[in-house]
Amino acid sequence: MTPKPPKGHCNILYFASAGSYTSKNVEALPAPLPLSKLFGLLEERYHGIRAGVLDHSLVTINLTYVDVPGAGEEGAEEIVIQEGDEVAIIPPVSSG
Amino acid sequence: MSTQDDAPDSPAESHLSQQNCHVALTHGPLNLQTITDLIRSPQAGAIVIFAGTTRDTFDAKPVSHLSYSAYHPLALRTMLAIAADLARAHGLQGIAMVHRLGAVPVGEESIVIAVSAAHRQAAWRAGEAALEACKARVEVWKREEFAAGGGVWRANRDGVAGEREA
Repeated sequence: MTPKPPKGHCNILYFASAGSYTSKNVEALPAPLPLSKLFGLLEERYHGIRAGVLDHSLVTINLTYVDVPGAGEEGAEEIVIQEGDEVAIIPPVSSG
Repeated sequence: MSTQDDAPDSPAESHLSQQNCHVALTHGPLNLQTITDLIRSPQAGAIVIFAGTTRDTFDAKPVSHLSYSAYHPLALRTMLAIAADLARAHGLQGIAMVHRLGAVPVGEESIVIAVSAAHRQAAWRAGEAALEACKARVEVWKREEFAAGGGVWRANRDGVAGEREA
């Protein structure tokens, strides 16, 4: 099981190509964190991940898919990742 | 085995069941008989079983083995939703879907779907629909490891290779 994130953090899970790009399966990021800031933050940490992985991926928070606002786009009701949340980067699936 | 096989959440076997729907993820070889027995019913006149097996080439490049990883809780939840929708839509007696994770040698089953219905037409249709829905939606990822070294994450959506790695 994934360990609980430290206080003031959320967990972000990296699957498939996201895991290859970051060389990790999970890490803790400071939270609360507006969802609209997530991809920018990851791009700062992992240069090129936005074009290489994130632009083709979906995102879940606590097992529910969420719409990630585009760059500079102001969502009417902005989603904020909360402390203790489990966020996952979901690249295109390939079961079967 | 790569670290991708082992995380973030990877019990040896996990499963969910609800009424006549059974879904599971397992690291061991798939047993057709055991999976079929889950959906046997005296009301069924037909059982359709699909076994997806691992191919030895990708773009004509020899593949040594495949390895699958999953977002366990979400993949199980998606599989169960697919199963329940199809059971209702096709009036199935039962449906079972099991996906293997970790390294799967070439030629072995990576997914088995078994459905039972009163009549064969519903069983055929539901079996095909179940596989297509799985491939489109279930949070499982396949990595093909090439015999010559390196590997690639596949994407069902477009049938092409994902990110290439050295």
